[in-house]
Amino acid sequence: MVLLLLKRIGFMFFTMIVVSIILFMLLETGLTGDPATRVLGNFASDAQKESWRNQHGYNQPVVVRYAKWLGNFATGNLGTSIRYKGPVKDVLLPRLWNTAILGFWTFAIMIPLSLILGVLSGMKEGSLLDRSISIFGILTTSVPEFASAVFFSALFVFGLKWLPGTSSMSGGFEFKQLILPAMVLVVYDFGYVARMTRASMAEVMQSQYVRSAILKGLPYRQVIIRHALRNALIAPFTVIMLQINWLLSGVIVVEFFFAYKGFGALLLEASLNNDIVLLEACAMVAVVVAVGSQTIADIGYTFLNPRIRFT
Amino acid sequence: MAEKKDKLSTKRVHPGVEEMKKSLTEGKCSRREFLRTTTLLGISATTAYGLASKILGEDILPSLISTAHAGQKKGGVLKFGMMVQEMADPATYSWTEKSVIARHIIEYLVETGPDNITRPNLAESWEASDDLKTWIFHLRKGVKWSNGDDFGADDVVFNFTRWLDPKTGSSNLGLFNAMLEDTGEKDAKGNPIKRMIKNAVEKVDDHTVKINLKSAVLSMPENLYNYPTGIVHRNFEKEGGDFTKNPIGTGPYALTEFKVGEIAVLKKRNAPYWGGEVFLDEIRFIDLGSDPGAYLAAIASKQVDALYELDLTTLQAAKNIPGINVLAIPSTQTGVIRMKVTEKPFTDKRVRQAVQKCCDVERQLKIAHHGLGIVAEHHHVASIHPEYFKLPPLKPDIAGAKKLLKEAGYPDGIELTCNVGNTNGVWEQNSVAVLKEDCAKAGINIKINLMPTAQYWDVWTKAPMSLTSWTHRPLAVMVLGLAYRAGVPWNESSYNNPAFDAALDEAEATFDVESRRVKMEKVEKLLQDDAIMVQPFFRSVFTAVSDSVVGLETHPTKYYRFHKVSLA
Repeated sequence: MVLLLLKRIGFMFFTMIVVSIILFMLLETGLTGDPATRVLGNFASDAQKESWRNQHGYNQPVVVRYAKWLGNFATGNLGTSIRYKGPVKDVLLPRLWNTAILGFWTFAIMIPLSLILGVLSGMKEGSLLDRSISIFGILTTSVPEFASAVFFSALFVFGLKWLPGTSSMSGGFEFKQLILPAMVLVVYDFGYVARMTRASMAEVMQSQYVRSAILKGLPYRQVIIRHALRNALIAPFTVIMLQINWLLSGVIVVEFFFAYKGFGALLLEASLNNDIVLLEACAMVAVVVAVGSQTIADIGYTFLNPRIRFT
Repeated sequence: MAEKKDKLSTKRVHPGVEEMKKSLTEGKCSRREFLRTTTLLGISATTAYGLASKILGEDILPSLISTAHAGQKKGGVLKFGMMVQEMADPATYSWTEKSVIARHIIEYLVETGPDNITRPNLAESWEASDDLKTWIFHLRKGVKWSNGDDFGADDVVFNFTRWLDPKTGSSNLGLFNAMLEDTGEKDAKGNPIKRMIKNAVEKVDDHTVKINLKSAVLSMPENLYNYPTGIVHRNFEKEGGDFTKNPIGTGPYALTEFKVGEIAVLKKRNAPYWGGEVFLDEIRFIDLGSDPGAYLAAIASKQVDALYELDLTTLQAAKNIPGINVLAIPSTQTGVIRMKVTEKPFTDKRVRQAVQKCCDVERQLKIAHHGLGIVAEHHHVASIHPEYFKLPPLKPDIAGAKKLLKEAGYPDGIELTCNVGNTNGVWEQNSVAVLKEDCAKAGINIKINLMPTAQYWDVWTKAPMSLTSWTHRPLAVMVLGLAYRAGVPWNESSYNNPAFDAALDEAEATFDVESRRVKMEKVEKLLQDDAIMVQPFFRSVFTAVSDSVVGLETHPTKYYRFHKVSLA
């Protein structure tokens, strides 16, 4: 068990190092344009650019620069944003927090909803309830976020006038402004998780041990909760953990559309504005979250499925 | 010289005013042209309106800018939907939005209103010498900076000196060319490096500043309302050179919160304001990103009270929302598809002329901007500019284009790439797409390189061919000086024609509208013949304002000013 944990954590760090090397090579070595021009702008003279390169160590060997860059990142020094003219940390952390709030409410609604409906659907495969839930899930998941965002805006903002059209929270946090972005994310994601839960549940319900338990005369509720559910949740658990990664990039569309000041919108702004320092930090944070959540998922499996624990 | 100095030291009426009176009486200039020119020559807007009324025998009410409306309420918070960008140095602003926020904190020497008439602001009056080469600005007394210091001539001298230092990187260099001299050196691109002429700006006393020009310029006061000419405190650089961190100003509002990409909050200062009472307690500039749909949704759900601009794609939808007024602003904003004369194949004039000959300006306006605007003639002077000289109308000439291409050594056609960043909307990309279609008829294959807005600003002065969106300027000579004079920072086509520079200098120096118009013929013709740009139309711009906003005046350059705006 300890070995497994160490392996997973070791792999996590290895992945992060590899991604950081790729990121550094792409953004810091001039492969995608001169960093000095990006920072100083178009009117900067060659002398100014050269002076900037000297000042910021851009004339040092790539390996030395990478080691410094990684060291700075590891110690929390994320640099200064070109667009925001301030420490990246000061810009990034509030944005990450905003996305966490949006993600929390999205998951708080989506996970119970999709698990319950998925389990109900999988329990009685082929029933009217199963078919209804499946069709609804396929429909919502097949509509892209930007389309459902337009639809919900047309309905709730321009039509019924129930909800605010944007979610910039410029006057402070207002839960009402969170409803539309969360609704779009829930609707898009719910069908996917529900369908996975349904498939997993249906498979478990066909398994011999569940049939034996039913034939043995155990109460149906006990069979579902004690025997079927635990095994049926392994696949949805994987999917849900993957949704954390999806959320970090998937929110870009929603945050852009509703002007929500979150991590996704920041990532987009950083790339559109050539803010390489901010882009690096955002990419590294996304990698840390992705690899971290997968490590947690891997460890989580071991509790859900003893077979993984002992192999 | 001493005699001239004495002459200028007392308030005088420029002889040009008499000539303008004569022109108006004889019907040689319009009322608007009379008002604009006489105010530039230093007489007050009220006097100018009075003179025009007397001459024309009509009662012309001075539509003074920022006039308080009867029964306006005090207090309240105005929420304005607009991008909030980094705005550390007012001298280097390259987006009007930055100046909209700054305009409430720092101020300009003059103010050009929505009627294109220039009025006093921090300068309470000005005088020009007969040859328009010497200007004296009398600064307003009793104006205080928000740190308690007195505003005065030192501040103005500091600002001019800073603008005209090439190290600052201010676009004002192109605007105040008559205050510059060549250093004899050239930059990396081969453009001459210029510096301010010694004593181009002089402090006469604590509240008087004298500007000495090497050539005559009529639009000197008007240039002082160009958006990067906001007057900062004389210690701006000593105190860090970052306006957002140290927002000292003479205006009625103070910057209390500023987050790039999110929000800027201005609160009414407690100290009495020299310009009279302002109504709003607070102005919030709310950044809703770059999606025009978000701005529409925000005003529809009353999250903002007014917008900086209504995109063409959301215009129709906005008209259908109750409680929202859509305002059209006549302007000379435009998209210039310019060709860099120093980059192949545009080094050959015939290639540039071939591209220009393919362009159907009527079709461009109709398709790319829904017919909302006026057609142009590839010289960046609009028919609504006072000095516009009408050249013969342009018709597409595909056969002529093919012939020129053949002569230039491209008998089988040519491949070109045009960069576009949609910095002001998708009409930019549509305009290039229409040109692509037109050019294909002559064998010119234009590849469209669509780039993110910010990346576009990295290449706008470097790319061989690209579409740049230019904002409105009340006088054509202002924009021509900024964009086409040899060696100025914003000369994106690297155009370098001494004959053009001389013709422009001459036009700038002529205050008589009729004579200036005649002189503009050469300027326009040179630009058109040298074919450095395809400039098919001037576009109308739009904004949306909620019913609850009182007194908001639109401005052709979108220089919004909320001093006399209130909430219902």
